Amino acid sequence: MRALLIGLLTVFKHLFMRPVTLEYPEKKRELSPAFRGKLYTSGCIGCGICKKVCPSGAIQYNKDSDNKVTSYTFDLKKCIFCGNCMYYCPKGAIKMEPEYELGSDNISDLKLSYKGGNND
Amino acid sequence: MTQGWLGMTKTTLKLNLGPQHPSTHGVLRLILELEGEKILSCEPDIGYLHRGMEKMAEKLSYIQYLPVVDRIDYLAGCFYSELFCRTIENALNIELSERDKNIRVLLLELNRISSHLLWIGAFLMDLGAVSPFFYSMREREMVLRFFEKLTGQRMMYNYFVFGGVRNDIGYIDDIKEIIKILPNKIKDYERIITDNPIFLARTKNKGILEKSVAANYSITGVNLRASGISYDLRQNDYLYKGYEFNPVVLQGKDAWARYKARILELKESLNLIRQALDKISKTKTQAKTFISPLGIKLPEGEYYNEIEAPRGLASIYIKSLGDNVPYRLKWRTGSYYSVNLLKKLLLGEFLNDAIAIAGSLDIILPEVDK
Repeated sequence: MRALLIGLLTVFKHLFMRPVTLEYPEKKRELSPAFRGKLYTSGCIGCGICKKVCPSGAIQYNKDSDNKVTSYTFDLKKCIFCGNCMYYCPKGAIKMEPEYELGSDNISDLKLSYKGGNND
Repeated sequence: MTQGWLGMTKTTLKLNLGPQHPSTHGVLRLILELEGEKILSCEPDIGYLHRGMEKMAEKLSYIQYLPVVDRIDYLAGCFYSELFCRTIENALNIELSERDKNIRVLLLELNRISSHLLWIGAFLMDLGAVSPFFYSMREREMVLRFFEKLTGQRMMYNYFVFGGVRNDIGYIDDIKEIIKILPNKIKDYERIITDNPIFLARTKNKGILEKSVAANYSITGVNLRASGISYDLRQNDYLYKGYEFNPVVLQGKDAWARYKARILELKESLNLIRQALDKISKTKTQAKTFISPLGIKLPEGEYYNEIEAPRGLASIYIKSLGDNVPYRLKWRTGSYYSVNLLKKLLLGEFLNDAIAIAGSLDIILPEVDK
């Protein structure tokens, strides 16, 4: 009986504590800047390392006859947000921003397409 | 069908527990044969979460497979990462720096804490106690936020790499706060749970796991140590060399002992984290020289490694033919053996105890199905 009372008192103590939860869609927690979310690229040189380290085949690119990358796409539907492409990009051209709400009515929003190898 | 009292026929009932039952922690299906409320036989049916982890390895290069191993056990990704990295490092003779070793110990133990905290909450939830779930999730959140700051993700870290860790440790204050706050919170859990008469009635002398049964069923980890066998790989692990560490061994053998052992493990992990922090503060950041991610090839041969994960011994076996992908990769995970044990442990128990017993074994289904 004593143990039960001690337990109840410990639970009761929590009544006077500040809430730790957030009402999600209205209030949002600030994420760490290191959070691996949506991908952005700029300054790609078309070396193709990102495609070789990507485990899920989310990165595709086309090359012309001079072996130069003409366009590339990041498919966020396939992306597992592991960050391998970001870590191994020799130019630091890939960045992952703390964005996690990727739902969209338009499926093409989940495909990031870029044209040209040397610019974004 | 047997003849029962006053000529009435007596039949057994087949009951499917799961795969959508909230207490089965994922998608475990138990086919139970019941006589009244007594369990006559239990047949676990697994495979609902099968992702082909081992076959996937045969298609992906080692660096591509590295983020995937975090997903074998989503509550303790660090352990499988460490296991995989360690095997590659041993095969290629890569030496880790002292600082990286200690950072790895720190992260592994923090990961173990987050895993055990979730178990405490989920186990109590299975038994009908709602409050401890919120408390343990609140404390787990502290650990996850630290992981988020350091590694960029809350559960799938991809932080350990061949030859070290991705970036140097930071946010030491966060860890210090966890060390400061958590012991008091563990005391709170113990006040609410440990001697609670309802909890005792549900767990004491339930699901007794004898030493011989545990050994025959290849049970490892906390479940084994709660049955009185002192077997903890951390005692001989090269990462933990120089750490003072006492494995938690209890003689209770029942579900309550398994709960108590995990509570004591939390304290032991905190102790290891304190030592790791101390060791890290004595070393300096070094410039990192990582091996090139592309073109990692293991020399022809077979490689094996093991580690003490939160759910028992985890091991990896790689057979390489000298290519940049393994010829065969095999994982051994603790939960797989715990699920198999249910066949034996649930016999003769009552249906409502089945949840308590299955919960006490800390089964994680992605780890079982792989």
